[in-house]
Amino acid sequence: MAADLLVADHLTRTFGDRVAVRDLSLSVATGEIVALLGPNGAGKTTTMRMLAGLILPTAGRVTIDRVDVSAANASAARHAVGLLTEAPGLWERLSVRLNLLTYARLHGVADPAGAVATVLDQVQLADRAEDLAGKLSKGLKQRVALARAILHRPPVVLLDEPTSGLDPASARHVRDLIRAMKDDGRAVLVSTHNLAEAEELADRIAVLKTELLAFDAPATLRSRGVGVSVTIEFEDGSKQAIEVPDLSRVADVVRDLVHAGKRIVRVVPDRRSLEDVYLSLVGADQ
Amino acid sequence: MKGGRARIAALAEKDARELIRNPGAILPPLAMVLGSLVPAFLVAIGAPMIAGRTLEESGDFVDASAQAIAMLPELAGLAGNALVQAFLFHQFALLLLLVPVVAATSLATHAVIGEKQAKALEPILATPISTIELLIAKTLTPFVFALALTWVAVGLYITGILALAEPGVWRAVLGPRMLILFGILGPLVELATLQVSVIVSSRAHDPRSAQQLTSLIILPITAVFVAQLMGAFVIGTPALFLGAAGLLLVNTLLLWIGVRVFQRETILTRWR
Repeated sequence: MAADLLVADHLTRTFGDRVAVRDLSLSVATGEIVALLGPNGAGKTTTMRMLAGLILPTAGRVTIDRVDVSAANASAARHAVGLLTEAPGLWERLSVRLNLLTYARLHGVADPAGAVATVLDQVQLADRAEDLAGKLSKGLKQRVALARAILHRPPVVLLDEPTSGLDPASARHVRDLIRAMKDDGRAVLVSTHNLAEAEELADRIAVLKTELLAFDAPATLRSRGVGVSVTIEFEDGSKQAIEVPDLSRVADVVRDLVHAGKRIVRVVPDRRSLEDVYLSLVGADQ
Repeated sequence: MKGGRARIAALAEKDARELIRNPGAILPPLAMVLGSLVPAFLVAIGAPMIAGRTLEESGDFVDASAQAIAMLPELAGLAGNALVQAFLFHQFALLLLLVPVVAATSLATHAVIGEKQAKALEPILATPISTIELLIAKTLTPFVFALALTWVAVGLYITGILALAEPGVWRAVLGPRMLILFGILGPLVELATLQVSVIVSSRAHDPRSAQQLTSLIILPITAVFVAQLMGAFVIGTPALFLGAAGLLLVNTLLLWIGVRVFQRETILTRWR
């Protein structure tokens, strides 16, 4: 059992009267990717900021690598976290190398130039090191921002919408980098609207809408308690879709249909998509 | 603390590299250097040359110059045209105070709003940097640039006087009054401007609108300059010390406000 590197324990955050996040508990273990899903305004960014030590929770606590984050040690906590913000936030008049060197120095990295060279190799941007950040494509900027998030080798990485707005090739490259972070043993939390990406990348998925609505492995989440759907195919070629509370009730339905004189050829369980589960959790209007 | 100094240096150096690549930030202060130097030389040297009569011969400022000796003891050794020129160069020196104001405004608004526009504040705040370190770093580069530019302007002013004015005028101008004006008052005016710029920049969306608000600081300096030029008063050394004390208080108040504006949560949730 891998150790939990990042733990959110009953986190609540209010802004005035507005509750942004209520009683959120989740954890991310060494070498694990957790996807954070939720509609706009669900509190994902607030959660990320609390986990990154940028803002403190109104109630509850954050633990990074077994150390409680408080106002007194938030600076050290921020060093243990690599945060990819929603916008790359690069200094466009400066080269890629100078962008990263500044952050290496802000993190107090012992050998800033060496760390920058290493991370540029990791994100395959060594040949673009002297390019102005402002001249890069959106996909390349995102890779620089990812490099910035991991150049100080944090055990915990938080990624806010890492592939948002990227073309498919760039998005795939970024996903490969995220997998590499997992392989490096980092705890990775990815906030995303892309359900397919979450399903592809994540070991566990957290669904947030102010409160945590679900937190489980994708397969478990797909089969969770909102009923089972099956399609029954009859001898005459007709089909009937049926929803039952759980699989054990399918046999009852089949028996009733046979007693009613129907000739059943096949019973096919429908595979619920993550999207179905997500929408049923957060509300279809989202 | 060592880590704090390293973080401030890292961010301040980054700001310096960005500012020198940003003509929009650099050109207004350079233009102000020129703008603050030209009027003095135009009035004290150029206009008499064009008119073909010295200031003493035309009678302009002669009485005011003689009366100013009581407030400006540096003028005591001079007479005739040299006295009038030295008096005018003393009066126009106040205009050089606009250099730190314009430079600080332009450089600080770009340094802060540039980060907002680049959406770079959140990544910076996600590093171990403290908000007081961020505040110092954001004011350090504009402060050094603006102060250096002010002293360059003063240097050019004195060099110009040495080259163009009557012999001995430069020595009467480069006295204790100038040292107080640009060694104490100038940096304090600049610091106040920087702090106002940073505070205003926290709420502004673009450097120009922040600069418009901050440029209100120019008004009192201009008013004092115009009033003294019209003969309403001559600002002597004691008045400059009084002004410096007042600015020290203003700077303390602004620092108090600035530290509150530069809270991590405020920057993340309220700065727009």
